[in-house]
Amino acid sequence: MKVLYVAHNHPTLHPGGAEAYALELYEGMRATPGVEPVLLARIGSNVARQRVAHPGTPFSSVNDDPNQYFVFTETEHFDFFTLTSRDKALYSQHLTNFLLAQRPDVVHLQHTHFIGVDLLSQIRRVLPEAKIVYTLHEFLPICHRDGQMVRTFSSELCGESSPRRCHECFPQISEQSFFLRERFVKGHFENVDLFLAPSAQLMDKYLRWGIEPERIEVEEYGRLAPAVRAPAPSQSKAPTNIGFFGQLSRFKGAEVMLDAMALLAEDCDAHLWLHGANLELQTQEFQDEFAARHATLKDRITFRGSYDHAELPGLMAELHWVLVPSIWWENSPLVIQEAFFHRRPIICSDVGGMAEKVRDGVDGIHFRRNDAFSLARTIETATANPRLWRSLRDGIREPHAMDTHIARLLNIYDSAADRGREVALNA
Amino acid sequence: MPRTRSGAGTGSNGTVADVHRGAKLAADIAILVRKGSGDAPVVEIGQVDSLKLSTRQWQEVESDLKALVREELAPHDAGTREAVLEQLARATGLEAGSSFDLSASLYGIREVLRERLPRCEIKEEHPAGLAVEEVLAVDDDSFWINGWVHDQDGRGRVTVVSPEGARVDLTEAAFRYERPDVVQFYSGLGGGSTRNHGFTALVTLPAPSRLSSGWIAELRTSDGLELEIECPAVSRDAQAVRSTVLGELGQRGSIGGALAADHGREALTRLQLRLVGEAEVDSVDVYGEPPPDPAVSIVVPLYKRLDFIEHQLLQFARDPEFASIELVYVLDSTEQTDDLAKQARELFGLYRLPFRVVNLTAGAGFAGANNLGIEVAAGKRLLLLNSDVIPDRPGWIGAMSAFYDATDGIGALGPKLLYEDDTLQHAGMYFHRTLGSQVWENAHCFKGLHRSFPAANLTRPVPAVTAACMMVDRDLYEEVGGLPLHYVQGDYEDSELCLRLAEAGRENWYLPTVELYHLEGQSYTPGVRRIPSEYNMWLHTAIWDERIESSMARFDPFAAPADG
Repeated sequence: MKVLYVAHNHPTLHPGGAEAYALELYEGMRATPGVEPVLLARIGSNVARQRVAHPGTPFSSVNDDPNQYFVFTETEHFDFFTLTSRDKALYSQHLTNFLLAQRPDVVHLQHTHFIGVDLLSQIRRVLPEAKIVYTLHEFLPICHRDGQMVRTFSSELCGESSPRRCHECFPQISEQSFFLRERFVKGHFENVDLFLAPSAQLMDKYLRWGIEPERIEVEEYGRLAPAVRAPAPSQSKAPTNIGFFGQLSRFKGAEVMLDAMALLAEDCDAHLWLHGANLELQTQEFQDEFAARHATLKDRITFRGSYDHAELPGLMAELHWVLVPSIWWENSPLVIQEAFFHRRPIICSDVGGMAEKVRDGVDGIHFRRNDAFSLARTIETATANPRLWRSLRDGIREPHAMDTHIARLLNIYDSAADRGREVALNA
Repeated sequence: MPRTRSGAGTGSNGTVADVHRGAKLAADIAILVRKGSGDAPVVEIGQVDSLKLSTRQWQEVESDLKALVREELAPHDAGTREAVLEQLARATGLEAGSSFDLSASLYGIREVLRERLPRCEIKEEHPAGLAVEEVLAVDDDSFWINGWVHDQDGRGRVTVVSPEGARVDLTEAAFRYERPDVVQFYSGLGGGSTRNHGFTALVTLPAPSRLSSGWIAELRTSDGLELEIECPAVSRDAQAVRSTVLGELGQRGSIGGALAADHGREALTRLQLRLVGEAEVDSVDVYGEPPPDPAVSIVVPLYKRLDFIEHQLLQFARDPEFASIELVYVLDSTEQTDDLAKQARELFGLYRLPFRVVNLTAGAGFAGANNLGIEVAAGKRLLLLNSDVIPDRPGWIGAMSAFYDATDGIGALGPKLLYEDDTLQHAGMYFHRTLGSQVWENAHCFKGLHRSFPAANLTRPVPAVTAACMMVDRDLYEEVGGLPLHYVQGDYEDSELCLRLAEAGRENWYLPTVELYHLEGQSYTPGVRRIPSEYNMWLHTAIWDERIESSMARFDPFAAPADG
């Protein structure tokens, strides 16, 4: 069975969680007998600072692997509102040619960002028999605000979209435009046989948006267990070391985290280790504010900058807790899986994918989303309580393993097309 | 008085031997002077080919135009010269051969022959004053003229003279209105004369006038004073003329008053025809193979916003019925031809749904664009569709067509149209007259209520349906003359079409089982539309008052569904 994976980035260029997963999955499938995977990852000037590699084709190879390709798309050709490329030759020539040449039995999309939802219709047109599976990583099809489903005028979470509500968030964009956006994306989405949601909460939002229940199911990201597990941290003192891994951005809860550290009681010994990436991509205002806040909290916060995935066991070794303070829903944060692999309990916001993946009082502690007081009280309690820490550590389950995931996916690939047709017949 | 004849050189009672002298007025138009019985010359204008002169005869009589005028016409007395000018200006041969050269020649003759009056100087102590402030070309032979006149008793006669010599008396015909600035200017002279110094008139000449300068206006007062002035150069840009005329309708009394009725309606109707007449099919781009004998031809005018096409094609391509449907886009914003061609090519590559794009030589307006698209379309059944209408689900055309087939005496058929929030945009149209108002407005049944509202789900005949999505058989459409062109910037075309169908004995129907979204208001940004709208509304009522009255007598917009 030939499976084409389409990703919006390649982890060698952009170290995001979904990208890392896409490559791991590809590699896992390559090691699976009877599966011939091909990975097509988007590359563009915004990540690679480069132009198209060869005249007349957007494709180029990745390292020495004959089954991994980059597809170059111009960032400025992408319509971030309608989620389509304005350069239609990308579809009508290049991508359809690629599909016709590769003739995959299954196309499993990890993302269509920077490529465009039109690809779905073109797959169906040129490969009518191919099964189309689409893993949803955030809410971009539903929400124009970077797929976060957080209102623009407050940090209130948004539970469902509508032209009226979206227009409230973007007053300069009409309700009619939002209507067309939804119709357009859904029109192309009709070609997908099965959507995969890594979390139930994400699936619920897509169900509410209108994806038929027969066409979507939950399948958690599968992960390769790390070769080296971090040793247990020193238990000679209280579990005071907290780590944060990921992008330092507003949505990821950077401000809540800093505010909470400033609100800690004097006698609290908690210390936060920030392994934060992409600070330089944030607005200058945000960076300045971060620097100023950090300067006043130097005895409580250590900023360690970005990290390589291979360093994780070492970085985890000194930590007792991993903090996930995002103010948006999240999907299924990969950092939760990473922490659980290394058996670190989690302190996280009480919403969305975090609340779903971390069981409050079993393998982690929830605090009230976007509430620095709640987080400060939670940290004070957690870091002063070695027994609680040990019990939560004992409650941790091994994350969804890649080989189990692959077995599930192979089943899904076999059945996906039949489900899609049933839906079409019932429509 | 001289005996003069004109015409395309039929020479009914003249013979070649009569011809005394001839000269070219333009490349193919000549003037002939015949020997008259008395002193007065007989003058004829016509196309050279039709003057029935052999080449040799023509060579014998041909003369230099200036010499002919100087020697044959100028020596006559003022009355004779004026009569010659009048006859030249009215010569029917001019209409066929109208050209700039001909106008220039006639202007030259006029300048030699005409009686010059003393120039009118505008001074507050002068008893008489005349000014023409604007000469706007409505079309080749009609002109919108604005000015003011002052004399002691308000009984002076005003005449305008075209560069070619045609004279039109404005005294009775012009619309008169108060000019406070002129009243103020002459206030030193005391009262007695009219306060309505201003005049506006649509002047229609017997033949086209091409020159932009050379217009003259003359004033003859009751006490024998005769004066003239030169008029300003003619403005010809149709769009600019239209907006000036509309603006003046709005300023000078209420729209629908005497100015509109006596001058504005005719001027705007001619302007609309001129604007639309400039638009023809320039080219037709073909994408894919259209069905050979389409069940329905969909015609979609495009104006400015081209992004809707992608949304329509996506939805249409999902609908198997489109295998037998012809799709024709008409681009009414001609500056976008290249953009649309690129987009159309790309989108056809993706969706593979055949369609054609009709490119026009100039903007034709909503009605004109539809009519030109319909000329290109092949189907016997038409569906007029706006670009911002998106079907809710496949199968809509078949459902409309089946209903159309099954309904005897049907005229136009319109489906339910929804806003993006599932409220009603269109559930049939009717006419509404506010208490105390003379004009009928178009109104939409149940607009703004939810799509599930029971009364809006009643299939029924309605006075009119919107052209945003309207099915009508081509025979019928053509029989009643299609969408009318006389409304300014789009309005009321659809209701007039429906009224014409009703006049022809047909019934227009609303079909709520077919639902589409209409993202109304997105295809153009509303500008200053108050005056065009008011004018259109007045014109619509002026034409259709009786028909509307009788159709509303039989229609209850709020009819509830019968129990059970």
